[in-house]
Amino acid sequence: MARLLDIGLEKLNGMLTEMAGISRDAVGLAISAYSEGEKGERVKEMAARLRVLHNEVSELAMELLARYQPVASDLRFIKACMEISYGFFRFGRYAYDIIEVLDIFGDLSRCDHTIVLETAKRVQEMIDMSINAFVNRDILAARKIPEMDDFVDEKYRENLRAVLRGSEKGLKCHLSATLILRYLERIADHASYIAESVVYIVSGQIE
Amino acid sequence: MMLVKEEQDKKKGELSYLNGEIIRVEGLNAWYGKNHVLKDINISINSNCVTAIIGPSGCGKSTFIRCLNRLHELVPDARVEGKVLLDGVNIYDEGIDPTEIRRRIGMVFQKPNPFPNMSVKDNVLAGLKFSGMKDRKKLDEVLRSCLEKAFLWDEVKDKLDLSGASLSGGQQQRLCIARALAVEPEVLLMDEPCSALDPTATAKIEELIISLKREYTVVVVTHNMQQASRVADYTAFMYLGKIIEYDKTTKLFENPREELTERYITGKFG
Repeated sequence: MARLLDIGLEKLNGMLTEMAGISRDAVGLAISAYSEGEKGERVKEMAARLRVLHNEVSELAMELLARYQPVASDLRFIKACMEISYGFFRFGRYAYDIIEVLDIFGDLSRCDHTIVLETAKRVQEMIDMSINAFVNRDILAARKIPEMDDFVDEKYRENLRAVLRGSEKGLKCHLSATLILRYLERIADHASYIAESVVYIVSGQIE
Repeated sequence: MMLVKEEQDKKKGELSYLNGEIIRVEGLNAWYGKNHVLKDINISINSNCVTAIIGPSGCGKSTFIRCLNRLHELVPDARVEGKVLLDGVNIYDEGIDPTEIRRRIGMVFQKPNPFPNMSVKDNVLAGLKFSGMKDRKKLDEVLRSCLEKAFLWDEVKDKLDLSGASLSGGQQQRLCIARALAVEPEVLLMDEPCSALDPTATAKIEELIISLKREYTVVVVTHNMQQASRVADYTAFMYLGKIIEYDKTTKLFENPREELTERYITGKFG
């Protein structure tokens, strides 16, 4: 027999699945905008939608806690959903920040995009894996994600060292790359937090 | 499977010396006639803690706590095997006086049961008077002290000579707790003490339970899992006469080890 709580948990799961799709697309579009010089208005709309959904997830989670006083796996799921929702919301926010950089800096077509695109590729893999881990409650996949974060961190530091050496041509290029790498690095961190939340839902372990 | 067993053994070991155990139950079995209701119970109850016993109806919760102060044996055809060690002494050993055990391990029942023909004052002091205490000053001190500990003094200090039955349900239950405290027990057993009370009276009893653990060890049987999670330091889940899981309350309600516990506390049972 289905429990009343199950209706709320399914709704929560559906909202997070929607957020997962939007946040993945938002980051993808932001990276395309950087590499192809496209406008990013759609990313800003997505970020706004993610904020609304994040607030709705928080409200629903609080309602479920207050109404049903869930315990065990139900409690862990709701607690983790609040964390994961925040992660998806931050994906959107950093995608928005990347678009802001593009708006401020203007044409970056003459800059070397290599390090940003290499990093972005890995970050998008991490996003995909964290979403799949959540959807499939796959803790083996989830546990691989934090390891991938090292690559992103190293790219971010590599760029900073290059900037300090003055090897980058042009202030505009290296400032924009630094900012975008910083946002990608934060996205990767949130992908790792989402992965940790998936492990927590399934096993109750905090890693 | 082996990993789970090892984990359980480790957990048992961890729990056995927490906070100084006051009661250790070893291989406890109980029967009503041929009905085997408790099956090889092993548990350590820690002093100055609240331990909750949860589980579905008929799982043996009440029988279990009634075995802790030898009330079970008062039922015709009832039988017990195994040990209940109170401060290291088996309460079922020959020569042990069950009345003294019931003084040291008091009981509060589901339905408030003040002596109906006695005043509030006499209800609290009944045990002491039966045991022969006549020192009026001492009796007055005990009366006030126990009613204060039971959070009842302010409400009844001007009604001490009224019948205990004239109080509200919540007040009657606190009167029963005061009565149990008057004989200076070490452990207080409570069998669903709030099930007949409204939410306000329940909140008072819960506050009282938490306050009592400063001086006493409390074991409470409850059907209300939120109540267990609010008041208990440790919780045991019983099913079909066995203890399925026993752990810190926060652990048991957030991340139970046993699938059966998970299903019961999340309402996915049956």
